Amino acid sequence: MGPAARLKARAARRPHLTSLRARLLISTAVVLLAFVGLGGLALEKAFESALLQAQQDKLEGLIYALLGAASTTPDGDLTIALDTIPDRRLREPMSGLQAALFNELGIMVWSSAQPLDMPPPPLLNVGQWNFQRLESSNAFRLSFGLRWIDSERREPRLYTVSVIDDTRSFDRQLAIFRHTLWIWLGGTVVALIAILLLILRWSLAPLKQLGRELHRVESGLQLEIEGSYPDELKPLTRDLNAMIVSEHNQQTRYRNALGDLAHSLKTPLAVLRGISSEPQMPLAQQNQLDEQVRRMQHIVDHQLRRAAAAGSRTLTEPILLKPLIDKLTSALTKVYTSRGVGFYNRLDPELKLRADTGDLYELFGNLLDNAAKYGDEHIRISAHSEKNVLRIDVDDDGPGFPEEPEKLLERGARADTRKPGQGIGLAAVHEIVKAYGGHLELGRSPLGGARVSIVMPVR
Amino acid sequence: MRALVIEDDPDLREQVTKFLSDDGFAVDVAADGDNGVYMAEEYPADIAIIDLGLPGLPGIDIIRQVRKSGRKYPILILTARDGWQTKVEGLEAGADDYLVKPFHREELIARVRALVRRVGGWTQATLNSGPYIVNTSAKSVMVDGKPVELTSYEFRVLEYLLTHAGKVISKSELTEHLYTEDEERDSNVIEVFIRRLRSKLDSDSQYNPITTLRGSGYRWDLPRA
Repeated sequence: MGPAARLKARAARRPHLTSLRARLLISTAVVLLAFVGLGGLALEKAFESALLQAQQDKLEGLIYALLGAASTTPDGDLTIALDTIPDRRLREPMSGLQAALFNELGIMVWSSAQPLDMPPPPLLNVGQWNFQRLESSNAFRLSFGLRWIDSERREPRLYTVSVIDDTRSFDRQLAIFRHTLWIWLGGTVVALIAILLLILRWSLAPLKQLGRELHRVESGLQLEIEGSYPDELKPLTRDLNAMIVSEHNQQTRYRNALGDLAHSLKTPLAVLRGISSEPQMPLAQQNQLDEQVRRMQHIVDHQLRRAAAAGSRTLTEPILLKPLIDKLTSALTKVYTSRGVGFYNRLDPELKLRADTGDLYELFGNLLDNAAKYGDEHIRISAHSEKNVLRIDVDDDGPGFPEEPEKLLERGARADTRKPGQGIGLAAVHEIVKAYGGHLELGRSPLGGARVSIVMPVR
Repeated sequence: MRALVIEDDPDLREQVTKFLSDDGFAVDVAADGDNGVYMAEEYPADIAIIDLGLPGLPGIDIIRQVRKSGRKYPILILTARDGWQTKVEGLEAGADDYLVKPFHREELIARVRALVRRVGGWTQATLNSGPYIVNTSAKSVMVDGKPVELTSYEFRVLEYLLTHAGKVISKSELTEHLYTEDEERDSNVIEVFIRRLRSKLDSDSQYNPITTLRGSGYRWDLPRA
């Protein structure tokens, strides 16, 4: 498993918020929304109380003006001459602004243009202010308790003066403010999140690039992580490169060690096999020795193939197939001279496959050798691209595969069960193709014999 | 027939030598690349069996050098790693066939025999010419369907002449290809062998298979069947 795959696997174990981007985005968005929401509410409250204060101040001014215009009627009651009030709305009907005077018993003794249809104000002590919002009639009321001493020095009387203003203007101002406030705050939030997205993309771009590079390393398209990364990621890329190199080296060592082991075992095995063919050896022992030597040989072959397959995922340059196969066929033509085997290499001269040269030699060497061995006189190699895969067919005109040819592919799995002479090399081919993520298909060739199709994924 | 074996492992070398001698070959051996290349270039041979993994000069280089110096005898390579790349390299360098270790005696002999026959243009294991049927693996000879008993050396002479049927073979060539450097050579013995062969194969001088060309040598003159 390559480093990128390991990272992916680790990420998959955590089901929630696997993306850094989502984490950052969601947490920032929550903070931003909370901040903007609370800020907006606070601004709204502040504006509202300021507006209320202004309203109260306005009404207070009006009360002072009213009191300035107050005078006593001959029968001692207090009255107000509206003509002297600067605010003309008091004199207009339906203006929403009204004023009234109540005596100490709470009975209205004077009112401006309109009659009042609202509960009387509470009785107030002298000098006491009372500001109310009358929800039932959508109005503000400011009342002031006063003691009136007239010029004739009559018994002073207690009055309450009230000014009522409807809330329309207040509500409109507040609504306009709210509207403006939230539009701007909303716009700010959207702009901030957009900026945040850009920042995230910019900051996380190196991680994305790192992922891409790791994938390329794993696919064998490049040897190590090459790009330049921000300082925070440098230790990571350095360690990853060290890991890739050590993995590569380990694979190479493993491959070489197994290769050397196989190499050094094969000569003694050859000697043992030779001893088994000595005529003076009893037949029973000869067979026994032969069988054991064969088992050892298959174990060695099997491990060697596994080692080869394990090492195939390192960096590979795409290799031109046609010349490689031409080399193999000219070599095999020499070997099978007496049989008069003809190879027809129908591959596109430009066709390339990204694989280790040794693996390709092994793959096609075994296939073409089998074809030459079991075929009659024509062997054809052709290829065509299908969706996402490259299909390479090796056809011969021999007797074809036995029933259930897939069994030939499985034999390599248990090396000691394989009988000599049956599908030799096919298991090796199968293992190599599997190592590259492809598969083998065995079928009937249009030439009449066997067809082996190598189906390789195109990266 | 004379074979050259270049193999570094003493056990395997001894074994291959024994297999080939038992089959009627005169065998020269070399244990490393440097000796091997000298013998391959200098000694007469009908076939060379060369291990690719050798101390000293690598097997591939021996093959290249042998071919460069114009030697045409067939070469069989022994390879331990069943790497096709190595096989192809060996065959490209000038080898004619390969054998992957470990191998059976029969496999080795069959490959060697096939290569030797190929030089003379024979494809079958039995060489048929006129009334003669010579089986190179069973070492048996039939004349008109009747078996003929030959000594080992008589058979070797017959095999050499028949393999190169139609070509003039000198007495010294025959000597060189029947004996190794270490063996006692006497070209007069060849005349004795030829005389005995003639009497055994053609007792009533009916077919005259072997022609003597004065001063130059002998030739198998019957057509191949």
